[in-house]
Order: sequence, then structure tokens, then C-alpha cells
Amino acid sequence: MDKYSRATIREFMSPSNIGYIDDPSGMGHIADNADAVELTFFISVDAGHITDAKYRVAGCTALISTLSVLSKELPGKTIDEALALDMSYLSGVLDGLPESKWRCAGYAVQALHLAIEDYQSKGEATAG
Amino acid sequence: MERIVYMDNAATTPVDAAVLDEMKPFFTEQFANPMTYAHSSSGDVAHVAVEEARVRVASLIGSQPEQVMFTSGGTESDNWVLKGTVERASRERLHKSGHLVTAEFEHHAILHSALALQRQGYEVTFVKVGHSGIVDPDDVQRAMRPTTALVSIMHANNEIGTIQPIADIARIAHEHGALMHTDAVQTTAHIPVDVDTLGVDFLSVSAHKFNGPKGVGILFVRDQEALYPFIDGGGQEWGLRGSTHNVPGIVGLGKAAQLGKERLPRELERLTMLRDMLLSKLSAQIDGIVVNGDMKQRVPQNLNIRIEGIDNEPLLLAMNEAGIIAAGGSACNALETLASHVLTSIGCDLKEAKSSIRLSLGYATTTEDVNYAIDVIPGLVKFLRSMA
Repeated sequence: MDKYSRATIREFMSPSNIGYIDDPSGMGHIADNADAVELTFFISVDAGHITDAKYRVAGCTALISTLSVLSKELPGKTIDEALALDMSYLSGVLDGLPESKWRCAGYAVQALHLAIEDYQSKGEATAG
Repeated sequence: MERIVYMDNAATTPVDAAVLDEMKPFFTEQFANPMTYAHSSSGDVAHVAVEEARVRVASLIGSQPEQVMFTSGGTESDNWVLKGTVERASRERLHKSGHLVTAEFEHHAILHSALALQRQGYEVTFVKVGHSGIVDPDDVQRAMRPTTALVSIMHANNEIGTIQPIADIARIAHEHGALMHTDAVQTTAHIPVDVDTLGVDFLSVSAHKFNGPKGVGILFVRDQEALYPFIDGGGQEWGLRGSTHNVPGIVGLGKAAQLGKERLPRELERLTMLRDMLLSKLSAQIDGIVVNGDMKQRVPQNLNIRIEGIDNEPLLLAMNEAGIIAAGGSACNALETLASHVLTSIGCDLKEAKSSIRLSLGYATTTEDVNYAIDVIPGLVKFLRSMA
């Protein structure tokens, strides 16, 4: 039977880093009506390292707890290190997310990737 | 001790202490098989107990005792009546594949039985249900065919609690020469259920929905000639349902039926009051609450609401952390991540269905329980909304 670990429920009941970043280096937005998900992910990047990560979310327990864990993992990481964070790693931090929840929790990783793309496209625009 | 407020009585209810007391001897000293009553006095004790339970159930639903067939519960009763009547009418009366009329928002015990019949070549019409969550008898009328063997519409829906116009639908079924079944699992012992007033030929009941034990129920059968047996075996239940009687379960069902009948008028009033208070006080504190389905034609123990901007899964988990147990869809589908088929059948989109919760009260629910839910749920909704 699929059920959440205590670690997941603890994370969900007191999630870290909910909020906005004013003038973020990158932002990723996902809305999926069928999954009842709406999510915005913000990152600040300085000298090639992520310095802050925040998010706003309406979604399931798996997504909220994954976002919380992800946002705590990011500060100090390079973009490449951030892109290497995947669901199997994040699920491990949560003592194992039910596999049926990976798809929805995966929106957290997708939103981070969108935020990084946004950051990189701005860099290109500046460089150009 | 941690406070537990149980608001999932539509899924199941606790066994009443008086019910358990009556059951206990039949696990131990009164263990005999009731079918041995003719030559065994201990068998006779069990037989008398089973027959007493039959009388009590019959009294609850207004039938004759010999029209009460004990089964393993609502799902078996639903399977039996759909398969047993459609097959029999097809073979013996119609001489071709018969037709079943049911509704899109039925319990899976009906829907999946109907699909099983369809796989075997029988025809099925699933009548649509509007926003009110109430089947329109005219839609049933339009679905009727010369080959319709059975109409099966639930008495009240298990998720949204809406009560269906069974007597009107039964009249239509009979005008077309079809038989009428209703799944009364959510209504029996909660609102008056009388097989003659409803005009039904068959009716399903499950004990554990009204403080009886799990694993036992009945099918009311007006005429034994109208259906084939479902479980072939010994001569139990007039040869229509083989298997040694579940004597403790049947005794428990009988006691729960007796208590249910005694308590019904007061409980109907009390639970209606508590349920209405729950809705009005939650609505006063939480913006964007919408009731799913008609609020007036509804069993007293059911409240099904959607809360704008909320995913029901984290809300239910947060409620559980606070000791309040409720449901999203029905318990039978709690593992599905899909939205409830009942809510989508009454026109909710997926987002609305996923923002809906069912709070179902029962005999054990107190005013303090309801007040606790009123105190706690708004804060949890605020917590979830604060993330968005």
C-alpha cells in the first residue's frame, strides 16, 4: 500500500522556504489543471552558485514536501549540481516517496529546471 | 490521549457495544451450524438466532422475513442481483441478451458488475446524473427498452449522499416490465427505508454502515423466482445462497438493525442538525466552499464540499495529523490518485473533484466532535492556502 513516510508528513506540515524572491535570477511556473497543481519556483544565483530558492505552491503532499527538501538542498550548489538533483535523490531525503507520487512530485524538479532555463536565457540576453 | 474525531462513517462505522455483546457467544459456546437445528439443540440455538436476526432486519426495511437473504455485504448483494436477474430474465423470459439500466455515479459494486455483464454480451445503459446528484426519472424512462430486465439505481450516493427518487423510478421500471433494485447501503437505518414505499423488488444492505460488523449484509428479494443463485452451494437461504451462515455476523446485523430502527427518528434529527451546523460554521470561516450535490435531498450524515484552491490530499493528511479522519472520494478508491467518478459524473472538473472532501457523521459523533472540526479545519485550509 502506498503511504507517506513520517519524514514526508513532517516536511509537509512545516515546509521550508515558501515565499517569493523579489527580482529573482530565474523563475519557473507550472500549472496543470488535471493534477490540480499550480507552482512557481524562484532562484537567486550569484557567481555561478545558487544562493536562495523559494516557491509558491498549490498541490499535493508529495509535491509540497519535495519542494521543501529541494529548496533546502539548493543554496551553495552550482547550476550543474542543481540539475543533478533528481527524484530518486529527493525521494531518499524524504525516506522514500510512494512511486505513484513521483510524477506529481516531479513538478518540483521541472519547475527548478524552468527557473534555471530562465536564468540561463537572461544570461544569454545580457551576453548578446 | 490524542483526540480522534472520526468523520468517515460513510466508509464504515464502529461496532456498537451492544451489537458486539450479542455476537460474542456465537463465536465460542454457541458455535453450532444453524443448518443442524433439526437434530441438534445447539444447532437450534444458532438457527433461532439467525431467524431472529432475519425478523429484525425485515422489520427495519418493512419486508417479510423470508424475503431477507443474508450475504457477505453490499458488494455481494449488488453483484448477485445484477448478474442473477439479468441472466435469468435473458434466458427464461426474453430468450435473448437482456438490458440493464443503471447510473454513472453508482458504487463500483454496481458499475463493475454492470461492466462484467457487458463483457458477457448483455447490454447496459449508464444514465447520466446532473449537478444536483439526483437521477432524473425521465432519463430512466428514455433508457428503457423492451429487453430491459433490471433497473438499478442507488437509494443514496455514497460520496455525496444525495437521495434518489426510487419510488418514481421503480414505477417506470415496472411499467416497462423490468424489475427494480436499489443499493440502500447508505440509507438503511439512517433515513426511513421501506421496500413497499420504495416499490423495489430488490434492495442491498450492509451491516457495517450502521454500527454492525463488517462482512455481512442482505439482499431483499421480493420474489425468489426472479433471480438465479450467485453462490452455489448448500441449501442455505432457500438454496439461493450457499455457504455456512456467518452466525455471529448475522446476529450482529440483526442487533444493529434493531438499534438502528429504535434510534432512527432521533438520529435523523440530531445528525441533520450537526451536519448543517458543520456546513454553516465552516462556510462562515472559509471562503469558497461549495456543496457537491443537492443539500436538501441528502442523507443526514453526509457533507461533501469542495474548497476552492485546495488539493484534498494534503488537507486530509493535515486533518489526520490533527486527529480528524475524513475522506476524499470513497474509501474503496482511496488509493486512486484519480478524481472521484461520482464528482466528475455530476459535472465537477478534475480540479473541483480534487478539492473536495467528504465529512460523514455517525451514531458515535458528538457535538464536541463537530465543534473540534469547526475549530481545526479552517486553520488547516488557511495553512494550505498560505503556500499558494
